[in-house]
Amino acid sequence: MKSYFTKFYNWIDGRVDLSDLVEFMGKKYVPVHSHSMWYYFGGVSLFLFIIQVITGILLLLYYKGGPDLAFESIQFIMSKVQFGWLIRSIHSWAANLFILSAMIHMFSVYFEKAYRRPREITWLTGMFMFFLALGFGFSGYLLPWNELAFFATKVGTDIVGVIPLIGKPIMIFLRGGEDVTGATLSRMFGFHIAVFPGIFTVLLGIHLLLVQRQGMSEPFRTIEEPGWEKKTMPFFPNFLLRDLLLWLIVLNIIAILAVFFPWELGKKADAFAPAPAGIKPEWYFLFMFQTLKYIPGKIGFFDGEVLGIMLFSFAGLAWLVIPFWDRKSQRGEKNRLINYIGIFVIIYIIILTIIGWIF
Amino acid sequence: MDILRKALLSILVFLFCIFWLNNALSLNTVNQCLVCHESNGDKPAMLFKKDIHYKMGITCADCHGGNSKSDDMEIAMNKRAGFIGIPKGDDISGMCAKCHSNPDVMKRYHSELPTNQLEMLKTSVHGKLSITGKENLLQCITCHNAHGIVPVKDKASPVHPSNVINTCGSCHSNAKFMRAYNPALPIDQAEKYRTSVHGILHAKGDSKVAVCTSCHGSHDIRQKSDLKSKVYKTNLPSTCSVCHSNSEYMKEYKIPTNQYDKYTHSVHGIALFEKHDISAPVCNDCHGNHGATPPGLESISKVCGTCHAMNADLFSSSPHKKAFDEHKYPECETCHGNHEIITATDQLLGVDKNAVCSRCHSESQNTKGFKVAKNMRMLIDKLEKAEKRAIDLVHEAEQKGMEISEAKYKLKDAHQARLEARTMVHSFNLGKFQNVVNTGLVTTSEITSEAGLAVKDYYYRRYGLGIASLIITILVISLYKIIRRIEKKQKS
Repeated sequence: MKSYFTKFYNWIDGRVDLSDLVEFMGKKYVPVHSHSMWYYFGGVSLFLFIIQVITGILLLLYYKGGPDLAFESIQFIMSKVQFGWLIRSIHSWAANLFILSAMIHMFSVYFEKAYRRPREITWLTGMFMFFLALGFGFSGYLLPWNELAFFATKVGTDIVGVIPLIGKPIMIFLRGGEDVTGATLSRMFGFHIAVFPGIFTVLLGIHLLLVQRQGMSEPFRTIEEPGWEKKTMPFFPNFLLRDLLLWLIVLNIIAILAVFFPWELGKKADAFAPAPAGIKPEWYFLFMFQTLKYIPGKIGFFDGEVLGIMLFSFAGLAWLVIPFWDRKSQRGEKNRLINYIGIFVIIYIIILTIIGWIF
Repeated sequence: MDILRKALLSILVFLFCIFWLNNALSLNTVNQCLVCHESNGDKPAMLFKKDIHYKMGITCADCHGGNSKSDDMEIAMNKRAGFIGIPKGDDISGMCAKCHSNPDVMKRYHSELPTNQLEMLKTSVHGKLSITGKENLLQCITCHNAHGIVPVKDKASPVHPSNVINTCGSCHSNAKFMRAYNPALPIDQAEKYRTSVHGILHAKGDSKVAVCTSCHGSHDIRQKSDLKSKVYKTNLPSTCSVCHSNSEYMKEYKIPTNQYDKYTHSVHGIALFEKHDISAPVCNDCHGNHGATPPGLESISKVCGTCHAMNADLFSSSPHKKAFDEHKYPECETCHGNHEIITATDQLLGVDKNAVCSRCHSESQNTKGFKVAKNMRMLIDKLEKAEKRAIDLVHEAEQKGMEISEAKYKLKDAHQARLEARTMVHSFNLGKFQNVVNTGLVTTSEITSEAGLAVKDYYYRRYGLGIASLIITILVISLYKIIRRIEKKQKS
């Protein structure tokens, strides 16, 4: 068996010269410290993205875009296609776990200040991928063309339309017209399976390349710990096998969720039906949605909703460019303010999401 | 002599004073308008003498203005002194309302009449503007007359029950007049009324029977589509029951007075009152409205058939039609009852105690019908059971989170087949009935099979997950051991 593998390796090596790559991987080490566990969320996010790509392609074999066929085709996938129910449920569950994992990965990088020089581009590509993940979620949500998705998309795009000057044109662009119609579905389908994956793949390539090139960042506090001694483990095979182990566990969790909590399809969307009570966006948009609900209609001369959206936009922008304004961390000094902001953001998101979920 | 002359003069002066005073007093109490207008042979003036208002001391001037005490035309009909002549348009009703809408004035005359008639009239269908657009369609005098008004209870009153048909009919039976206001409204109400039980008794002088105002109201008449109308669908049963549920009032007519109670418990009454289904029939849908009469033997299936068309058609072409006619059985009513028609369940069919078929068909008498009824019941019970099993399985699969919408949609077809079978009962033809039942059984069998597969698939998924989890666990453990081995090797 081993000789067959060696023969195969040699055959490939003779054609594409793998030895450089193997040598590079063999020399690559991952720091080992008390916060090493956070490194794995990047890998888990990658694994979940791979699941999304595979299950997405499988769904694409049967999914039919268009308001007259979308719902029925998902119904067909769920009831008639062999393991169709499993593929769809895995796709839906993995999508949510992907965003959760990416969120954890983002916050771990934030608290470890791993965005500091020379990893600014890694942070930026990561953040853009996170925004794209939210875009994947929003565009994919409408594809089954069910009642909840239809009205949630309506509410979501309505919110975008509130932004002064650019809001309305963006809303019309997203909807493909004034209202959520079949044109919106076609657009979302296009974004979901072509535009977003294309951009995401490029960003992912850069992100992974940079991670490999620059290695994993080490947090300050590890270096400052008394009696600290630099420990590492080889990326290949140690870290990669650990990654693989975690991926298997995640795969099992997804399978359990898909079997015990299959993703519901609900009722087919009807543009003329009244909106069902309690329309809510997906959980990752819930904290923003809930905040907008609490903001009064008018704050001074400004429209409350517009102000709320502007506030989130600026907060998002500030978060995105943090490597460029967190000078202290760049200099290698402790910056408690960054930690306080991060803790506040996490608590805020958790509390508002829970409130939005319950009420 | 001088004394005698003085005494005579004093007596003369006294007598003159008495005469003048008497003359002056009589001039003040006599209605001078009537004195002149009567002498001219003026008809309104002659009618006014019979008027309730005249008897109560109300003068011409109270409505027409001027001074009715003066015999001088210039003074009596002086416009500067307030003479208005004949009131026009809405001023007519306004003039009546001056007293009739004022409780204090009406109390002075010991009247017990309500004082909101004009207010009610304004909100009624007659309170709308006339085609001239200058006045309301109807004034008080349109129904009550202007002069010669007598109490409603007086037979001479145009709104007395004995006259009200003609009073309303004077407009409502006039095609030319009604066209201007509501061309779609029939004008044969009075004619139909005369053929109704109410109308026939009314013609015989019975003033207790229902007339127009009994059902439609008087001052507050509203369109039948108005929710507040006494003849609006949901209000009509209680309007009829005002008389028909009053056993004391109905005593002399010797008819039951429990129709309303029965109706409220019937399938139709429940549909109307509890489910608020205004397509449910009310009294007039079966008995007619203006031509209200109990439906005859022949017309019962026609009356029910206006809604239950399929059932009526099937019955008419069934062997039962002839048999029922021969025995003079009222068609639908024989099995379903009349006012208290309960929801027709499958229990009515068959040969057991609760079934209506067994009233005529037994094992020894009319045996063919007995067998047909028995088989029909057996078949419909079979279909019911099959449908119930299909519903339960679909429900179970749904509860288990399985996608079962196609089978669920087919449940409608199964239910439809059962409804069709129940309609087909009225053909009393076992062959036709069996065909419909079979269609339903095929559908339920398809649903049961699909739903059953979904339930099986549910368990299959769990077993599959168990095996997959086992494989993954083995892989995880193996991987863990490999990592440990590699790390041990690296350390050594």
